[in-house]
Amino acid sequence: MWFLHFIQSSIGKKWIMALSGCFLILFLCSHAAGNATLFVGVSLFQAYADQLHSHPLIVAVFSSGLLLIFALHIVTGILLTLQNKKARNRGYKVQKRAKIRANSQASATMIYSGLFMLLFVVLHTAAVSFGDHASIGKTIAEMFSSFAISIFYIIAFMVLALHLSHGFWSMLQTFGVNHPEYNGLIHALTFIVPVFFLLLFSSLPLLFLFH
Amino acid sequence: MSDKQKNIDLNLEIWRQKDSRAQGDFSTYTLQNISTDMSFLEMLDVLNEKLTMEGGEPVAFDHDCREGICGMCGAVVDGIAHGPEPETTLCQLHMRHFKSGDTIVIEPFRSRAFPVQKDLIVDRGALDRVIQAGGYVSINTGGTPDANATAIPSATAELAMDAAACIGCGACVASCPNGSAMLFTGAKISQLSLLPQGKAERKERALSMVTAMDKEGFGNCTNERECEAVCPKGISIGNIARMNREFVKASFF
Repeated sequence: MWFLHFIQSSIGKKWIMALSGCFLILFLCSHAAGNATLFVGVSLFQAYADQLHSHPLIVAVFSSGLLLIFALHIVTGILLTLQNKKARNRGYKVQKRAKIRANSQASATMIYSGLFMLLFVVLHTAAVSFGDHASIGKTIAEMFSSFAISIFYIIAFMVLALHLSHGFWSMLQTFGVNHPEYNGLIHALTFIVPVFFLLLFSSLPLLFLFH
Repeated sequence: MSDKQKNIDLNLEIWRQKDSRAQGDFSTYTLQNISTDMSFLEMLDVLNEKLTMEGGEPVAFDHDCREGICGMCGAVVDGIAHGPEPETTLCQLHMRHFKSGDTIVIEPFRSRAFPVQKDLIVDRGALDRVIQAGGYVSINTGGTPDANATAIPSATAELAMDAAACIGCGACVASCPNGSAMLFTGAKISQLSLLPQGKAERKERALSMVTAMDKEGFGNCTNERECEAVCPKGISIGNIARMNREFVKASFF
């Protein structure tokens, strides 16, 4: 009962967003680490993919866990957006922010950047994850040799960076991590984390495009 | 009188609404020779005097102490709750921050939980009901204790005082894109949970105040930080973080 009460409360929903977001960031880390094998060569990436898929149980457990986390993050995000639209029933004639921050746009557009990420994930998994694993290295190399596909991926990574520029800090604030001693570091990470993922992910299509 | 004192002319666009059920719309007024030493509310007083003399209906707005400590006044001026000056209530906002010929748009605080009663007056009873749910200490404190009997570190006392500076004006709700009251509730939970007298009931307080806040129809905080930016008392969102911790601790442990 108390658990139901918790997740139905406003703070509980914030926690669902933050916790699932935290797991999604961890997933990004592992994904980026796997991708990094591409810097060495397509063959090493293929070997990594083969190794991974030789453990079908691990793949099944992690994929379904990831699907659940994604679903939680998306459904809660949409629910929050709808509830919040209702709470601010009427807008102001003059729409203005009292304080413009570098990432003000990010916080105001989380639902849109999030939905774009959903579109990206659907397309990406359809093309890569559900494709033939035995030739995944080749698939990637072929995809990224196309200018249009590479640009689409880079745009998606920019949107991801935008989403993270609010999401990462917001996650810590929801967990209650807000202390004058650490706020400087947290502020720096607000920019470092999205830029880190942007560079790491975008460098792959760029690598293939200019190779 | 300061040397800088001068008079300015203003165009006003003010939200007029007969009662809570009426549709409401903006009306335009012009004022001449407004002293820049006037406060924003004094400027509205001048307008109301003019409207009354002309046989019109004066603009209804909330106000009380007019020295920035009661939390009664408040409207959205040019898109910002309490106007453009940081850490200033509407009554303490002076006309020297405006230029002659300016058009000022004045709107009531907007939120589903704050129904408009008339013109710029909104019903902020929802905040009172959040307080009634647990924003107090119900333990029997007995007679006056010795001043140093309860040891409270200075830094903790200061944090509690910073949270207690909240005057409950509702600007946080008005400025939040989600109409959330988390800065208010966070401050009210913090001011008590930081101090030994409030710690005894911190669990019940966090649970019942957050439940009451959700019941009133306030939106969910998405960490936009607009509340902190408009708060006339500079309440930090660190109080929302503290409320999150208090609520999780109370729910799970």
